[in-house]
Amino acid sequence: MLIPRKVKHRKQHRPHRGGMSKGGTRISFGDYGIQALEHAYVTNRQIESARIAINRHVKRGGKVWINIFPDRPLTKKPAEVRMGSGKGSPEHWVANVKPGRVMFEMTFPNEAQAKEALRRAMHKLPMKCRIVSREGGEF
Amino acid sequence: MSEVRLDVEQRTEFGKGAARRARRAGRVPAVLYGHGEDPRHLALPTIEFARVLRENGQNAVLTLSIEGRNELALTKTVAVHPLKNYIEHVDLLVVKRGEKVTVDVPVVVTGEPGAGAEYYQDMDTVSVEAEALHIPEQFEVSIEGAEVGTQIHASEIQLPPNVELVTDGEYLVVNVGAIQDADTEGDESAEEPAEAGEESGSSDES
Repeated sequence: MLIPRKVKHRKQHRPHRGGMSKGGTRISFGDYGIQALEHAYVTNRQIESARIAINRHVKRGGKVWINIFPDRPLTKKPAEVRMGSGKGSPEHWVANVKPGRVMFEMTFPNEAQAKEALRRAMHKLPMKCRIVSREGGEF
Repeated sequence: MSEVRLDVEQRTEFGKGAARRARRAGRVPAVLYGHGEDPRHLALPTIEFARVLRENGQNAVLTLSIEGRNELALTKTVAVHPLKNYIEHVDLLVVKRGEKVTVDVPVVVTGEPGAGAEYYQDMDTVSVEAEALHIPEQFEVSIEGAEVGTQIHASEIQLPPNVELVTDGEYLVVNVGAIQDADTEGDESAEEPAEAGEESGSSDES
């Protein structure tokens, strides 16, 4: 699973969830991609799960790119603990994804199979998404 | 590269309110600058400009008719809404006839690699310096029958005369590799979440 090798601060504030994605809104590497339509914290488990869903479907002859990285820790207090006595322990690593961000990209010779693989991956992600393709990005 | 004529208006009101009014009226806010001149704020016809980008690409030289005067311009940046896909704003650069400009030209791969091989295109565009009115539309790279391990670098792209490569010639453009089995990658990493799960489980206990 994706996890930062080294961090400056173990516990951070929760990332800001407003606004639109500033960059990474177009397909850069592959032919098809998954674009986020809502804000979400995408955990490293969800990213891994989506990646495996794509790879299991296409099996052979494709390539997958992951454009997001879970670099923000989220903390959580244990169950049934009174408020106070400091911040909880880091529990998840998340990528702060904003609308418009192309999170996954892939190439595969068969378009229908590639889109089915991405559709399966979208079910593993915590927000509304859509499939975008390199050729469909015209205005 | 083709030259396209556009009738544009000079903008007199600025800010997001005015920009939104212009977009509703079928005009894209734009700015024209370069050659040490003062920037000029323009409004381009949305449909015509989008058609130019679709048909001629971003490197098309535009002949702008601004209040009766003609001006040559090159599209520098197009700001597109990330979700709704409409053009929000355009940056235009003033060019003169015979001037050399640095632009990104698309690279198109043609042909099919040999048996058991597939190709990965690492660069979609290369930067070149060319005369403003003679910018190549695209560069073609043939990988017909290429074997596994073939690599095509930027310096190997065939350039027309009077066009110079700006991108480092050692940059990899196309890489031909063996077809990979994606499923094995999935199985390997499928084990990793289990390990990570154990770690998080132990942290819960502590």
